[in-house]
Amino acid sequence: MTKRIIHHPVLDSIEETDTVSFTFDNHKYQALRNDSIAAALLVNGVRTLRHHEESGTPRGIYCNIGHCFECRVTVDGKQGMRACLTPVQEGMAVTSGGKLLTSVRDWRSQNE
Amino acid sequence: MIICRCEEVTYGQLVETAKKFSCSSRELKLRTRAGMGYCGGRTCRLAVDSIAISSTNRDVSKITLKYQPPIRPISFAKLGDENK
Repeated sequence: MTKRIIHHPVLDSIEETDTVSFTFDNHKYQALRNDSIAAALLVNGVRTLRHHEESGTPRGIYCNIGHCFECRVTVDGKQGMRACLTPVQEGMAVTSGGKLLTSVRDWRSQNE
Repeated sequence: MIICRCEEVTYGQLVETAKKFSCSSRELKLRTRAGMGYCGGRTCRLAVDSIAISSTNRDVSKITLKYQPPIRPISFAKLGDENK
């Protein structure tokens, strides 16, 4: 966990001892307790949180304050959770979202 | 440059559409889907408004995109009885 700012001039120093483990798309990662999911994954080098439902382009943190829902992930089966606001818990299973079928559009492009 | 990330609408598409149809912002939204995505237009509303206003000679400044509840996307479970 070297990407963190351990000693901040204003905020308290972080102790990297109280860790929890969680999974993201079946990969196991370590995080500090009370990290947001987005921060925990960023520290572990994961910047792509999901892919756009229609076009499949990658998405990550955008506003990071809960406005934009760009970082939404599935947490323990619950859809639409914002990774930037959800604190990571021990044993949490996080999954990203992927491209969905566009059957109607595909059909129209071939038949119209 | 993408303005509406939820629906992947670019600045170019918005300006082109606004010029072509001399749009109000609501018309621009309905034609391009900008501001109709998951976040409810919270991220790009002002940009869509200002593109519409600056791309046409009509006075459309009084027809901005509206604000309406719920102020955040919310699950039906939360509106109902589920406490989780």
